[in-house]
Amino acid sequence: MKEKRRIVITGLGVIAPNGIGKQEFWQALKEGRSGIKAIKRFDTNEFKCKQAGEIQGFKPDAFLGTKGLRDLERTSRLLCTAAKLAIDDAGLNIDDNNTDDIGVSTGTTLSSIWNVAEFDKGAIHDGPRFTDAALFPGMVMNAASSQVSIRFNIQGFNTTISTGYSSSIDALKYAIDFIKLRRIKAVLVGGVESLSLVNYSGFYRLGFFAGIKGEEISCPFDKRRNGIILGEGAAVVMIEDVEHALERGATIYAHVNGIGNCFDAYRMGKYHPEVTGLKNSIKEAMSNSELGVSDIDYISASANSVPEQDRLETKAIKDVYGSYAYNIPVSSIKSMIGETFSAGGLFQIAASIGSMYKGFIPPTMNYEMRDDECDLDYVPNKSRITRINNVLINNYGPGGNNAAFILSKWN
Amino acid sequence: MSNGIEYEIREMVSNILEVPVEKLTPEVDFFKDLNVDSLKAIEIVAAFEKKYRIIVPEDDIPKIRNLGQLIEYTKNVTS
Repeated sequence: MKEKRRIVITGLGVIAPNGIGKQEFWQALKEGRSGIKAIKRFDTNEFKCKQAGEIQGFKPDAFLGTKGLRDLERTSRLLCTAAKLAIDDAGLNIDDNNTDDIGVSTGTTLSSIWNVAEFDKGAIHDGPRFTDAALFPGMVMNAASSQVSIRFNIQGFNTTISTGYSSSIDALKYAIDFIKLRRIKAVLVGGVESLSLVNYSGFYRLGFFAGIKGEEISCPFDKRRNGIILGEGAAVVMIEDVEHALERGATIYAHVNGIGNCFDAYRMGKYHPEVTGLKNSIKEAMSNSELGVSDIDYISASANSVPEQDRLETKAIKDVYGSYAYNIPVSSIKSMIGETFSAGGLFQIAASIGSMYKGFIPPTMNYEMRDDECDLDYVPNKSRITRINNVLINNYGPGGNNAAFILSKWN
Repeated sequence: MSNGIEYEIREMVSNILEVPVEKLTPEVDFFKDLNVDSLKAIEIVAAFEKKYRIIVPEDDIPKIRNLGQLIEYTKNVTS
């Protein structure tokens, strides 16, 4: 039998609404502390909704220094800071000898909208000949990812994946394939989104937010759920070929045990009623892992408090795992950080590494009212102390993009 | 008025290039001494154009290589 090429996670950096740095983030999750609060970044007077998982009190100069900071828009600041934390955590020294062996793969979809909007505002107010040239480089989707390469001298490859909700797991899969093909030895895989008036207004106008038709609360799987609360932030992991990691004496957090993604577009903005794509993604991840059904200790859900999303994810889990699904704890950290969209999958990975190392399952907060169609064990309101070896991470949304990832503790 | 323009431009360039004002002498060459790249050069031109509501003809841009020349250019076009 052909020996499986192992890929491991050796570094982690997190800038989350409820914690800056992995320790603060893990502690917040363990305590069930939410980062969802009244928005400060822009005026919400004209909206019925007022909250987001906004990162407040973040000082990028403390991590990145002041030089060159003015060239980085908010998304790049978030991603570069998380990348720095991940590189430092991995203890990987990047220099001219290994720069071509390292890549960057980033999941992001809405990140450049702020710059586009500001640039446009300038064109309207001051005329098209007097726009702010400094905003232009940050208007492209791959700006943040490129800034990571520039700042940390990473020259192997640089890619941005923009597949909406599943972007960061898709970016991870892209990076894994690169390593499997032996074209690269290590990749910084990131997910990032930043809060802006434009994307807030867009989601609001489309009626996606909690608070428009009910209570403004992120309560995945709860009967009162009525929409998302938007979040922002960046999470980055360093993944490596295991030989490379062992050779340099790196500390290994976990190994990539299975991954699958599947596209099942149904209708514009509508979920596939049979949730086929997510089910197939989970099956694919299971089949290319070494695990059986009873090996999954915990499912980190994509549930974001949207009525259809949480119901269909529950259905997918039950359809794939049968009656054993009732034995697997399932929780959603989006009850504490909000829907971070393209960054969601990476935040779930960052949280799950914490689960393995600190021995807890993060709770689904704000869970009070049972819904008969969501009847699994959702770890309500209080983290559960237990040993975690294998986690299934789901990532999906109404756009048709689905991904599932299995993370296993490294022994 | 001239001193005002000198002060304004020095502040603006110092801010964009992240070089302290005291290091920004009229003679220091943007490209050779301060490693200004094309993107930064365009940023200076764009900020200058916006501030003084002047369009700098493309042929004039390469002629401006230091702060002294930029101040001189501004005085000419604003007078």
